[in-house]
Amino acid sequence: MKQHPLCTDTEHVTKVLDLAIPACVKQEWADLQTRRHFLGRAGKVLGWAAAASLLGDRRLRGDNYPAAGAPAADSLNFPNFAPKAKRAIYLFMSGGPSQVDLWDYKPNLAAQFDKDLPDSVRGSQQLTGMTTGQARFPIAPSHWAFKPYGQSGTWVSDLMPNMGRIVDDLTIIKSTNTEAINHEPAIMLMNTGNMNAGKPCLGAWLAYGLGSMNDNLPTFMVLQTKLNTDENNQPVSSRLWSSGFLSSEYAGVGLRSSGDLVLYLTDPNGVDREVRRKMLDAVNEINRQTYEELGDPETNSRIAQYEMAYRMQSSVPELADLSKEPQSTWDLYGPDAKEAGTFAYNCLMARRLAERGVRFTQVYKRGWDMHDNVTKVLPIICRETDRGCYALITDLKQRGMLDDTLVIWAGEFGRTVYSQGGLTQVNYGRDHHPRCYTTWMAGGGVRPGITYGETDDFSYNVVRDPVTVRDFNATILHCLGIDHNKLTYLFQGLDQKLTGPVPASVVSGLLA
Amino acid sequence: MAGRVLRILPARQSTRIVWGASLGFSLLLLSLPWLVRLDGHPHANWQQFLGRFHPLVVHLPVGLLILVPLLEVAGAVRPALRETAGFVLAVAFAGCVVALALGFVLAYGSGTAGMGVTRHLWGGVVLTIVVLLCLLARPEWESHGARIAYPTFLVLMLVALVWTTHQGGSLTHGSNYLTQYMPAGMKRVLAVGSAPPSTSFYAKHIHLILDSNCASCHGEGQAKGGLRMDSYESLMRGGQDGPVIVAGSAAKSVLFQRITLPADQKHFMPAEGRPPLQSEQIRWIQAWIDQGASPTLTSLAGVTIREDLPEAPIEPVGDYSALIPEIRKKDAGQGAKLRQVSSRPSDGLILFTVDAASTFDDAQLAQFQKFAPYIVEAELGRTALTDASFDTLQQFTHLRALHLEETKITGTGLPKLAPLSHLTYLNLSGTQVTAASAASLNAFRSLRHVYLYNTPAEPAPAVPRVQTPAPAATGAPQPKEKSAQ
Repeated sequence: MKQHPLCTDTEHVTKVLDLAIPACVKQEWADLQTRRHFLGRAGKVLGWAAAASLLGDRRLRGDNYPAAGAPAADSLNFPNFAPKAKRAIYLFMSGGPSQVDLWDYKPNLAAQFDKDLPDSVRGSQQLTGMTTGQARFPIAPSHWAFKPYGQSGTWVSDLMPNMGRIVDDLTIIKSTNTEAINHEPAIMLMNTGNMNAGKPCLGAWLAYGLGSMNDNLPTFMVLQTKLNTDENNQPVSSRLWSSGFLSSEYAGVGLRSSGDLVLYLTDPNGVDREVRRKMLDAVNEINRQTYEELGDPETNSRIAQYEMAYRMQSSVPELADLSKEPQSTWDLYGPDAKEAGTFAYNCLMARRLAERGVRFTQVYKRGWDMHDNVTKVLPIICRETDRGCYALITDLKQRGMLDDTLVIWAGEFGRTVYSQGGLTQVNYGRDHHPRCYTTWMAGGGVRPGITYGETDDFSYNVVRDPVTVRDFNATILHCLGIDHNKLTYLFQGLDQKLTGPVPASVVSGLLA
Repeated sequence: MAGRVLRILPARQSTRIVWGASLGFSLLLLSLPWLVRLDGHPHANWQQFLGRFHPLVVHLPVGLLILVPLLEVAGAVRPALRETAGFVLAVAFAGCVVALALGFVLAYGSGTAGMGVTRHLWGGVVLTIVVLLCLLARPEWESHGARIAYPTFLVLMLVALVWTTHQGGSLTHGSNYLTQYMPAGMKRVLAVGSAPPSTSFYAKHIHLILDSNCASCHGEGQAKGGLRMDSYESLMRGGQDGPVIVAGSAAKSVLFQRITLPADQKHFMPAEGRPPLQSEQIRWIQAWIDQGASPTLTSLAGVTIREDLPEAPIEPVGDYSALIPEIRKKDAGQGAKLRQVSSRPSDGLILFTVDAASTFDDAQLAQFQKFAPYIVEAELGRTALTDASFDTLQQFTHLRALHLEETKITGTGLPKLAPLSHLTYLNLSGTQVTAASAASLNAFRSLRHVYLYNTPAEPAPAVPRVQTPAPAATGAPQPKEKSAQ
């Protein structure tokens, strides 16, 4: 058995025939090692080798892995058409924001306080384990009033006064719906197009297809918002920005939410840039030998990532230095933005990353999972996020960046109109609700000032223009100039794609 | 016409029979609409099934009939072609008869009626008879007997052909199909689309929606269910089952009910698999009916409509395939890069300088001169460029978007960019551009989006800028929007 070339242990080389394999199999194997067997196999191998050299080096190798640093998908194939947006910022609201309390205004519900949700509305839907045992499903109208804003007259909850001010820049989708009812599958589905882990996420697909605009920063970056322990936080981890079966170069690179954005950014005492460079060159050389020996493409990814880390040693300090931001920035984003790791800070950082040519930035905000105590927790999280979202859109707009940047705001599902647990005049809870939830986009490629899709009187079922997660993702790709059916990667014998095997369509009603 | 027919009538017995039969056939065709009345009610399904082959079959005789005069004319030079013409004419006649029969079955089976259908039917009948006359007159003409009759019939045939096929086209595509996108100047000259220019919500929006989605079945050509929707009066009058619009209540209006049914329902409109109305069109119709279905109201509460910004069509750049190896080499190295906008080379190139940023200066920009006509977007923000760069930039003749934010430019060179006729986006945020130099932008014809955030020019432009009345919730963000003059 082949040993790793860097392994120094030469005495304990295991032989295959020493392994615990049934004796009859070993015998059969030994019998097969005849001269005829050898010649037969050798003939086939030579045939394949000849075919491979005739067809070119890619066709028969059975892999699509690029050499380190080269663009993955052929850069001349993407974008498929001239895109409206060159980059995207995805504000991911983990936990499932309540569309009933924020966007999907249902004035008639007030009169139905504590009445039972009609069975005809719920239909045969399976509920989560948390409310399926409830004796009744009392309707909980939103605790907050709504107001119409902007020229479009869109109704927005009083919880988000700042969002109201920019409602004419938003493309609000009230008919987003998903197939998953629990966090893990739903959040995977939103991010990777599949409920099971292991597929590449949207950002990785974009990095793979579109490549980098800036060699000194990763193509896809992830910003996590600091935990607020008043909220019910669901776990978020790197599985959501994984590159799946794509090369790990395309995985999201997370910045830390407190302290240094990236650890060990400064060289240790006594190591100057030149020494660091020499060390990296040596490591790269060893890695290159390993690649030649074993041919594992992940070795190339490792070389590329060492190089990226080296360049980030100078690009990240510049990114993190907010001292040159004018006072108007702080007036816009508010005092929270001065504190690293807050949502407002991450919004500001997302703008700075976009300015520096990062293709895709994903900001995660946890804490939207409100099974109880909505009236206490929802105002807290809205105070945290309302200003940041408003500031980001306004800032991009005044700087002329909203023309070619797509901003997306979405969670993994919505929340039920009926109360989970006890409903009182002053408080209620809401369970997960996959059948409809509200998301919005803004900027390059989408049509501002419209509300797309409609839900029924209970914000329970979509009655017009449903948008599935597949369609949602296909539309995002479209704004960035990609035909979702063409961005594929051969893996496990299938041309894999973000939108999966079920037909998806770009939602033309959302496009500018 | 009968006299002329008789004059060329040959005296032989067998041809007399042919003429007699033709006369009988023509009379049968002429009386067809009375023999089988088109009563406007749908009949058997098999008739519709068969009838729907009409559009398929009809194009064969149309093509052949156009060919016949061509063959006759060309036959003057090459006699062999003239021999073919007789055969083609015969086949065309057979095609006419089949197409006419199928067309009639279609009209009868589907219960379509209306002026357009009637005209198309009569056109078909007359055309078939004229073709028959051509067929009859041709042998005599070939043997140099009657010299006038056949050419006359051919001309009549062409006139009838054009008129009939146009009627047919109007039935399937709607009567405004040809003129819908006609340039406005041409419309004025030809005086088509005579509807008085009106600023009412009905004229600007509702009428257009109904006209392009409904009027092909409910209009001048056909009036299915007795309903015409091509004018306000006929729309409000309704169909054979009563009015379709109840002013003030969309919910009670049949029209609104039918367009909001689930698309797989039998009564859903637009029928026959035509695309449903878009949700916002439905919203406008609803609001318009709810607010009184007025023909004159100019705006509706709760409805804002984005005026279409005239987007300059993207002009393809020239062929730069010879430069591609060099572009790829630049791409692989450090520093400024050129990338194709998309997989279509003619979409042009984008110049990215973010990697080089502070080291990218005027001299480096000048090195991109040879790519100048192919660059449609230049991302030059945060570079070391100065006003001297405008000498190079003015050669970027296809430039559409120019990013100069956070550079040292002061704007004195801006007028040099005025000849760039495709430039729509100019970002000068964070520069030292003054109001005086920004004023020169007013002369830029194609410019749509100018960004002056964080510049001396921002607070109060010295020269009054022409502001378009902000179109309701316009598409692109445009804090400093400038109109095209």
